[in-house]
Amino acid sequence: MSAPPKPVPLTTVESTETSESGAQTLTLSVGPQHSGSGHMRLIVEVDGDIIVNVAPDPGYVHRGIEKIIELRNIIKSIPVIERPSIIDASNLNHAWVRSIEEIQGVEVPRRGQYLRTLLNEMNRIMSHLYWLSIYGVFLGHTTMFMWPLGDRELFIDLAEKLTGARITYSYLVPGGVRRDLPPGFAEEAVKRTEYFEKRLKEYDRIFFNNPLFTSRAKGIGVLSKEKAIELGCTGPTLRGSGVDADLRKDEPYAAYPELDFEVSTRPDGDSFSRAMVHMDEMRESCKIIRQIVKKIPSGPIRRKAPIVLPRGVAYGRVESARGECSFYLIGEGGDKPYRARYITGSYRNMAAIPAVLLGNRLADMPTAWWSIDYWPVEADR
Amino acid sequence: MSAQRTAQEEDPVATLAEGLSIWVGKLSDLVKKVVDTGPIRNVINWARMYSLWPVNITTACCSAEFGAASGARHDLERFGVLPIGSLRQSDLIVIEGTITKKMAKRLRMIYDQMALPRYVIAMGDCAMSGGLFHDSYSIVNGAHEFVPVDVYVPGCPPRPEALEQAIIMLQEKIRRSKVYEQG
Repeated sequence: MSAPPKPVPLTTVESTETSESGAQTLTLSVGPQHSGSGHMRLIVEVDGDIIVNVAPDPGYVHRGIEKIIELRNIIKSIPVIERPSIIDASNLNHAWVRSIEEIQGVEVPRRGQYLRTLLNEMNRIMSHLYWLSIYGVFLGHTTMFMWPLGDRELFIDLAEKLTGARITYSYLVPGGVRRDLPPGFAEEAVKRTEYFEKRLKEYDRIFFNNPLFTSRAKGIGVLSKEKAIELGCTGPTLRGSGVDADLRKDEPYAAYPELDFEVSTRPDGDSFSRAMVHMDEMRESCKIIRQIVKKIPSGPIRRKAPIVLPRGVAYGRVESARGECSFYLIGEGGDKPYRARYITGSYRNMAAIPAVLLGNRLADMPTAWWSIDYWPVEADR
Repeated sequence: MSAQRTAQEEDPVATLAEGLSIWVGKLSDLVKKVVDTGPIRNVINWARMYSLWPVNITTACCSAEFGAASGARHDLERFGVLPIGSLRQSDLIVIEGTITKKMAKRLRMIYDQMALPRYVIAMGDCAMSGGLFHDSYSIVNGAHEFVPVDVYVPGCPPRPEALEQAIIMLQEKIRRSKVYEQG
């Protein structure tokens, strides 16, 4: 598979070398200044235009968040926790407060649990829409860049009503949530999700059933079921390979056990199935949001939780938009943790990047690579 | 050394070229003066103001709001801002958030590769002063430490409206500045 990364100079084209078989290969450096890579670099070795070796070079956004958490109060850490995946902030925040509550032994009121789930699902839709818009850019489909970003604003407005911020909410705090539902939220949420489901049909028509996309995505970047499990993939990447694994069902937390939804899986494991898993999840999230605003119980939204982290160890994990996000937290009695290990979905899915790219043509790289939904900021932390 | 000089002095073509280059220098000074004082300046600045093409370099999480600003609701293209892949054709770097030490080298390299005039917008608190991550071991506290910055946008992350404001401010700055002193 991928060779150990050798020092590659910063130029675009490194060298032409002759491999053992006598074939000429060329090492290309894709990124970080590249419309198809984001904040990371892929060192791609091509033979003709077939990719024979890929070595991801992450770390362009490594900000030492695990160390910063050790220096801050557990409440002040919440904004720091959110920054790695700013488009999926509340799910990451949820993993953090879950691990804190596990050590503190605080139970969250049911209304608080429902509100958490509501924001998580809205965030999942926003994150998937952002992913879809960038996918559109990668494939040269400008309509698919504009539409999802426009529809994402529907949910951003809704979240702004609920929390007061566009994308960085810091809404979940140990013991509950910060604010209650504003008046008129339920009607607005139902209206917007119903409108959005109609829009999803149009997405199908213009993009997902379009030969422009299907001919470039079907059978490209295949990740078999065994390989996906072996590499430790998670989230839509794993479900796109036909594995039925979703923490919302397997280890229900917050309000998920009381809600009715389905986990979407696709058996093929190619770029198209991974994309369709994202689409299905957006539909399911719309259903969940409507159920929540209908079923939400009355009562307090927050229970008082101490700012101290008692001595103890906890492992809190949630299903974020890009897969399992988890915290391994060690408390030592102060208001700061002794150590916090922070693992995100993108970090785990990084192992799948060489697996989906090898053997494909260089022109298929954007399709296969971005279908993993790898968000470099989240992976580097 | 002296032999070379005598050869050059004797060569009529070299002498002519030397004389010409003095005149070319004087002429170009004159052109600069004419351009900067006359209406030509306004025409050039007008063209530069409304074709600010940013480079595709994303340093951290503010890129989400940059994406939202380029998208359907806010649409930066109405200000002439069209994200473009090629460095040679771009005029603007929007530094989107935290700059790690690893990224700072690449960012400076990209800045050096761009053609003049070039402008820099530092977006987000992290690009201004380190922001939320000011005490981290792996970041550079502020973009001004390695590139000259034209406009700073505060916020963590700044709203798309703030980015639009920054672009309007940059356009105003270009409108007022002299043609040969930009970038």
